[in-house]
Amino acid sequence: MSGLSNNPRSAENLGSEDGRASAPVRPWWLGVGIIAMGAIWLYGAVSLPQTAQYAAIGPGLFVTLIGLALVILGGFLLWQIAHGEEFAAQDSEDAMAGAPADWTAFLTAVVAAGLPLLTMRTLGFPVTAAISFALVARAFGSRRLLLDIVIGAVLSVVAYFGFSRLGVSLGDVVPILSR
Amino acid sequence: MDALGSLLHGFSIALQPINLFWAFIGSALGTAVGVLPGIGPALTIALLLPVTTQIAPTSAFIMFAGILYGAMYGGSTTSILLNTPGESGSMMTALEGNKMARAGRGAAALACAAIGSFVAGTIATLALTFAAPAIAEIAFIFGPEDYFALMVLSFTCVAVVMGSSRVRGFIALFLGLALGVIGIDGTTGQARLTFGSPELLDGIELTIVLVSLFAVGETLYVASRFRNAPAQINPLSGGVWMTREDWRRSFKPWLRGTAIGFPIGALPAGGSEIPTFLSYAVERRLSKRPEEFGHGAIEGVAGPEAANNAAAAGILVPLLTLGLPTSATSAVLLAAFQNYGLQPGPFLFVSNGDLVWALIASLYVGNVMLLILNLPLVGLWVRLLLIPRPYLYGGILVFAMVGVWGLSTSWIDLLCMFLVGLAGYVMRVYDFPIAPVLIGLILGPMAEKQLRQALAIGQGDPLTLVSSPLAASLLALAVLAMLLPVLMSRLKRAAEDEPAGNPETAA
Repeated sequence: MSGLSNNPRSAENLGSEDGRASAPVRPWWLGVGIIAMGAIWLYGAVSLPQTAQYAAIGPGLFVTLIGLALVILGGFLLWQIAHGEEFAAQDSEDAMAGAPADWTAFLTAVVAAGLPLLTMRTLGFPVTAAISFALVARAFGSRRLLLDIVIGAVLSVVAYFGFSRLGVSLGDVVPILSR
Repeated sequence: MDALGSLLHGFSIALQPINLFWAFIGSALGTAVGVLPGIGPALTIALLLPVTTQIAPTSAFIMFAGILYGAMYGGSTTSILLNTPGESGSMMTALEGNKMARAGRGAAALACAAIGSFVAGTIATLALTFAAPAIAEIAFIFGPEDYFALMVLSFTCVAVVMGSSRVRGFIALFLGLALGVIGIDGTTGQARLTFGSPELLDGIELTIVLVSLFAVGETLYVASRFRNAPAQINPLSGGVWMTREDWRRSFKPWLRGTAIGFPIGALPAGGSEIPTFLSYAVERRLSKRPEEFGHGAIEGVAGPEAANNAAAAGILVPLLTLGLPTSATSAVLLAAFQNYGLQPGPFLFVSNGDLVWALIASLYVGNVMLLILNLPLVGLWVRLLLIPRPYLYGGILVFAMVGVWGLSTSWIDLLCMFLVGLAGYVMRVYDFPIAPVLIGLILGPMAEKQLRQALAIGQGDPLTLVSSPLAASLLALAVLAMLLPVLMSRLKRAAEDEPAGNPETAA
């Protein structure tokens, strides 16, 4: 029934700019991923007591139920995918839902989101945030790298000291220098 | 304690200059994020949570309430002028409102939406004033099994109502529940699914998941499918203001929209999608000029916009009286209460009456402020859209980092941000709803606690769960809720199909 309500929109998408044509997308890995996650939770539940003396259920039961539910739902999803379930990307301001993905832009943004993992503990918040800002700007089509870094640096420094004043600790300015 | 006296006392707190200041900040910030793409009320409140250490709880919640209401006003502005409904609640407003704007009646549509929001917000707040204490009174006698049943109902409704597929709705819900069990079990003190990481013992904060799903996920998603259109602001906002005829045609839809929006918003199912669809369908049926629908009927702006705002006030009823969040924004509001060591629910009205009533009084104040901020200044707000997108989304990521890193400067938090952000991207591409994740995450541990308490009291007998008539009927409703999508798709089709073919193509 949900398919019914979606039909007009997806038909329209096919008609317009995207050209995501004939072959239905079959993202098997989605269902597999959900099942895998359920399996991890089930595995985590094994070492926990399922029952308790007084409360009848122990700390493990909820985890087991969630793991089971994820496995079953993942199975449902695979079944739907096998039957040609449609996955229309969500509408968003600024985004063309039907358009093919621009992988360069996407990966640039991924690097921006992942960069803190590498540099936050050594280079600190202001530097990391400035670089991430410039990377996101680049992913969104800006080609003025130097200007982007300067704007990012100003924003990061203002955010760093502004939030520090409000009592939010964002670590040392440049941790590697203060060690 | 009578509601009126308490409310007057609330006003005496909300009208203090410092609280008026926070209400103003909240309203302005809310309108801004309502207008801006990529950032909404839930994300804004989540990013401001760390600041709560510096502000008194009353002031903080007055600000948050301003953000909640303000985002509704801002959202209707962009739907009317640019046909970009920021959230599902303003989809119907965009339908007729944008047509009006294209026909040179943008100013009338904007005024109708703003005044409708004001009327609905005020009436709904009035309803909240009298309904909330009454419900809180009833909630005193709720046992753990009743709460558990209520939460199960909330889970199924949220999973079923939000998004387009029940399977994906439930997957989203269970992802949230799964993240919710990570950390130390509150009852036995055993570590669950921490994968040997001491940082995970405290569990995963709602803020991290919310910020990652909304800010990081949205940034990745929009980056990959960026519509690089040059910023164009309102060629459409001009035209005549509301005529006497417009007033006459809008007045009843405002009231009907409020009557539809508030009760549905107050249900555990919550959300603003159903009431706006419903209001739109009702207005088209009752209109003397049904042929105008799809071509800019002012009733189609007035009704849904009122319903949207009334529903926003409605979600505060279960949140304040039962501690039950029914939307992403109310989930983060619940987290804010917990930050202050407060647990919303019947006892909140007793233990923190000042806070609750100041919050409710501030909703009246905020509505007046928002009307003043939005009616004459709408041109100013729309200018926010001129911010170049590369800088807007860059800034969103920087603030996301502040929100996540500022929590406890933990590397594991950054890892969570990265992974959950990627998940947020995938969920957008494959159309999984986001809100159920957050509801599951924050409500899951509470539901588990109630379940274990109920069973402990019942000495392990599972029949305890249906032992009270209330719990039994709530669980029955939860099963019935599975049928909601049928109703929803009917409503949707009724609302979308009939007026002049398919109005969505106009985008």
